[in-house]
Amino acid sequence: MKKYAVITNDLQFAAAHKHKERRRAVAKFLPKQGEFLKKMRTLGVSIIHLQLVVSESDPRSKGISDELKFTEGSKGVRILEDVLAKSDIVVKKPKDSGFFNTNLEDVLKKLQITDVIITGMQTQICVQTTAADAYFRGYKVLVPSDGVVSTRKKDTKRALEWMAGYCATVMTLEEIFNYVKENLH
Amino acid sequence: MSTKKKERIVLEHGTGGLLSQKLVSEFIVSILSDLYLGKMEDSAILNLDTKAIAMTTDSFVVDPIFFGNGNIGKISICGTVNDLAVSGAKPMYITLSLVMEEGLALADLSKILKSIHDTAKEANVQIVAGDTKVVRKGEVDKIFINTSGVGTFGNNRERLTIPLIQTGDDIIVTGNIGNHSIHILSLREGLGYESRVLSDCAPLNHMIDEVVERAGKGKVHLMRDLTRGGLGASLNEIAFGCKRNIEINLDQIPVQYETRMASDMLGVNPIYLANEGTLVIFCDPKSTSQILKTLKANKYGLNSQLVGKVSKNKESVVFGIDKEGEKTVIENLYGQELPRLC
Repeated sequence: MKKYAVITNDLQFAAAHKHKERRRAVAKFLPKQGEFLKKMRTLGVSIIHLQLVVSESDPRSKGISDELKFTEGSKGVRILEDVLAKSDIVVKKPKDSGFFNTNLEDVLKKLQITDVIITGMQTQICVQTTAADAYFRGYKVLVPSDGVVSTRKKDTKRALEWMAGYCATVMTLEEIFNYVKENLH
Repeated sequence: MSTKKKERIVLEHGTGGLLSQKLVSEFIVSILSDLYLGKMEDSAILNLDTKAIAMTTDSFVVDPIFFGNGNIGKISICGTVNDLAVSGAKPMYITLSLVMEEGLALADLSKILKSIHDTAKEANVQIVAGDTKVVRKGEVDKIFINTSGVGTFGNNRERLTIPLIQTGDDIIVTGNIGNHSIHILSLREGLGYESRVLSDCAPLNHMIDEVVERAGKGKVHLMRDLTRGGLGASLNEIAFGCKRNIEINLDQIPVQYETRMASDMLGVNPIYLANEGTLVIFCDPKSTSQILKTLKANKYGLNSQLVGKVSKNKESVVFGIDKEGEKTVIENLYGQELPRLC
């Protein structure tokens, strides 16, 4: 029996506000992402947010404001309110892939997930590595072409092509919602 | 307090005093045990059975120092053993210098020394001299290692050098390329390939001996271990040295599927990625099948492939030929593809 989970990557304040170009890209992407998650929750699909948390000694934590930090307890590390609901699960991660030194696989196994829908940012880094890692671990991987974002559009385009070629089925958010809905009933 | 109880390396371990002596005599030497021939004097005096020797030296700064199927200690022995062996020499003696950062856990040092011991034992080399230095926090990253090695050409061993290469020579690659780089990079950045793609780090001297011996005298012309710069850089260096073109069938180059996948994701060409246990061999075509048979029977040569030929043209260019027969130039690597992999 198919069981789905949506995994978001780095939908955090620091990542969304890194610089002007990023803020612009995220502002376009976020409303649709929020809507999608709401609809998926109505289907009973689990939503798992991967939250990047790095140490104070990490070079990415140096010389920047608290809002742009990914350290524990910083303003930047928070998951964006637009995508977070009480029923969601948050998995902290130290690196790019959501499976690297995390309990993500344990969470997925406990929920008996068979198919993962991988969303978030950035497409060519965390989304791509998490998708590959999920594929290696035997999950069917779906990636929404309009549910992922990079600062530069060309990075998303190339990463989507790569994922479609190697490890994932690429569809739109709407197509994925309909597909999951049909396969649940 | 004994060095074992201190649990971490401290600056006093490098002062030359009692603590330094204890570190060497009680900790390091006890782990290297049967493979350590040092006499705690200023130099080692060694007997050699040959008029010619091969010598090499290399420094190892890999980050992270521990990886899926090895560590910096294993690489430091494999790198030097392989450098000696590809010249045709029998690796005999190794020196070992450790530059350690204050705070390095003794348990980590112990694991590294255990790997050095096990790898040296497998390669049948002895560690004849050593040095330890301790530097302040931040002056090195945990531990850097230098090894130097001596190999001999006794029993009429053939010296394998570029001038032996001839037009028409076959070119063999002894294993999947790029795995070491992808493994290390994946561990460093958490890319998700670290358990799928393992380092190829291995001492290859026994496999090399088997290949040379079974191929017959004069049949193996050159070997290179494909470390930094990978196959692409080595082939360019060889083409320049032998003043001939080299033609490689791109589809024949052994690349693990996941390594190709990761390389494509990262936008790097596996042909330039570093390896720690893979060779390129130039040989007389009459011996190719025998060499491949020998390689494939060895655990470090299972994925060996004939990949190309030395051409008669003398422009020193390396060509890659795809399955449609289209030729492209495999350029030399400018700079380094990825940092601190070995």
